[in-house]
Amino acid sequence: MSDRLRAFYGQIIALAIALALGALIIVLIDESPINVFMTLVRGAFGDQSKIAGTLLQTTPILICGIAACIGLRGGMFNVGIEGQLFLGGFAAAWVGFALPLPAGLHVVVGMVAAVLAGAAWVAIPAYFRARYNTNEVVSTILSNYVAVLLTSYFTIFLFKRPGGWSETPPILPTAYLPELFSFSRLNWGLVIGLALALFVAWFFRQTAKGYSISMVGSAPKFAEYGGIDVKRQGFLVLLASGAVGGLAGGVETLGVHHRFMEGFAPGFGFDGLIAALLANGSPIVTIFTALFFGALRNGSLLLETDTSASREIITVIQALIILSVSAQVLMKRRGDSTAGERRWKF
Amino acid sequence: MGSEMKSVFQKCLIAGVALATSLGSAAAANGKVSVAAISGYFAQGFGVSIVNGLNKAKDEFGVDLKLVDTGNRALDYEEQFANLAKGGQYDLIFVMGWELVDALQKASAAYPDQRFVFIDGVLDSDKMIYANFAEEQGSFIAGALAGMIENKGSAFDKIGDGKSIGFVGGRDIPVIRNFLGGYEQGSKYAAPDVKVNSVFAGTFDDPAKGSELAQALYGQGTDIVYNVAGPTGEGVMQASAAVDKYSIGVDVDMCASAPGNVLASMLKRGDIAVYSLIKDEVEGRKVTAGTRTFDLASGGVEVKICDDIAPSIPADVTAKLDEIKKGIADGSIKVERHK
Repeated sequence: MSDRLRAFYGQIIALAIALALGALIIVLIDESPINVFMTLVRGAFGDQSKIAGTLLQTTPILICGIAACIGLRGGMFNVGIEGQLFLGGFAAAWVGFALPLPAGLHVVVGMVAAVLAGAAWVAIPAYFRARYNTNEVVSTILSNYVAVLLTSYFTIFLFKRPGGWSETPPILPTAYLPELFSFSRLNWGLVIGLALALFVAWFFRQTAKGYSISMVGSAPKFAEYGGIDVKRQGFLVLLASGAVGGLAGGVETLGVHHRFMEGFAPGFGFDGLIAALLANGSPIVTIFTALFFGALRNGSLLLETDTSASREIITVIQALIILSVSAQVLMKRRGDSTAGERRWKF
Repeated sequence: MGSEMKSVFQKCLIAGVALATSLGSAAAANGKVSVAAISGYFAQGFGVSIVNGLNKAKDEFGVDLKLVDTGNRALDYEEQFANLAKGGQYDLIFVMGWELVDALQKASAAYPDQRFVFIDGVLDSDKMIYANFAEEQGSFIAGALAGMIENKGSAFDKIGDGKSIGFVGGRDIPVIRNFLGGYEQGSKYAAPDVKVNSVFAGTFDDPAKGSELAQALYGQGTDIVYNVAGPTGEGVMQASAAVDKYSIGVDVDMCASAPGNVLASMLKRGDIAVYSLIKDEVEGRKVTAGTRTFDLASGGVEVKICDDIAPSIPADVTAKLDEIKKGIADGSIKVERHK
């Protein structure tokens, strides 16, 4: 059995263990696991609008997942995707409501603003990482809180829509990311996410630059001997990862909400990171792990209304998946002392 | 072969949907009322009060009750509304929280036969039911209480001779003006000599600013400050403890946030509102679109004097308050709403 195949079976077994434990918990709350599972499937794929809903949930997880993949491949743990998403979302919305532009151009400028905002936000921890070798995990995590509160400040004090909830004025229709179907809010964001996944996969597989990034990620000392400026490259990797994180926010505000709301999308950054980790940093596999999480989330919404189980049961199952996947990786490392080629640690 | 499989699958799907729908309509034909409530705030303050009212209705009338927690992801809201409304099995769907308004309006347009009850506010659409509270009446009582206590001067613990009471509003918007108007009218009615100093924080989300504004009011000789400012108001309550003066809470019982310094709370009784709407529905008085105002007479608003303060309230003040309540209820005292 090839290594890849074995890894694949390992993930499947990990998933099965997680689902079995989830079923046990469902039994403990006096609900039938079969009923919960069927409702979950019906909620995720029951009809065309449910499928579209699942894809709608998948989109931000996928784009955040790609952002995480870029970092993981380059040996950088960007845990600040959440914050980059919030700032990107705000920047795009700001362009949307404050900067009247012709149709077509408007949405493009909005997305560019989102990308720049995400990159600019990660540039601070990335600079300190490159200059002073600070731990990017800690600094990017902390930057999340600042980003979320900063956008709250912008929304509440500077750009609040008169009356009502803490949100900005609606963006102009010229800045809308077009919807794909009439029956759902699903929009071009999904297409952007898929295209980006393919592009990033191609970039790492086929270009010299991509190879050198992977090299720094897997064997930094070797790469440095080989003449790669590791610090500079790490900085650029984080910048690219943050840019994609910002893009995720732009897709949400221009594609779905058409305005920025305070605290509008909590947790997507982390969902994306988990999807990328489950996919071993592969953008293509991330498409499927993101879809899996998107389906779980959309299914869980029907779970809440149609069964006596809470939507939160899905959060528990997600956590179990992470636990069993990381346990599997750890066991493999113990069993195989040559596992040094693993690119990162869980 | 493939298409056959597909058609079998489709049939199963249709059968399942049909079964679910027939179960839903069976429940309705049964005469059993079924309600749902959707919000992200069932665990706190006003939301707890609503859950209490729903559970009371469930226990007393045996209605089917479904609580849906929206969580805090805006992306989920529309799907959740659709999931609730699609089956048509709920007679009434209670909705609480301004962040849900957008999704609510879309759901109301997509499912025109579904009756939605929006709690604590009135929106533009005339298709929905609005459970509104006569805040001006409750605030009138709060103003009368504060005015009369202030009038006692130094005879009452912690009160000076400034003859002025205060008001901290969140933002200067009509609904908050309505609270202020009631408060001013009440104070003027019961204690014409007492002046009302009002300020607006400009935000509902800044406790520090609330504290700062309240301290400024207390510094000017104001002894009692009524806050209608959401989280900003938390700062007002804290300030009253810091300078050892009095504050008045709003919406829910806030006596515990500064014990000894909170005079009373002007309660909006979400529990009474949802309970009486369900009661109407159960007893055959179908709840129809429009605004239902819950006032002093129906118990929808009330002023609760904090337990630790209540014994020290002079008898003449209590008597006068009772008289005012009766007057508002029978219409002999008119409280103007802010237009």
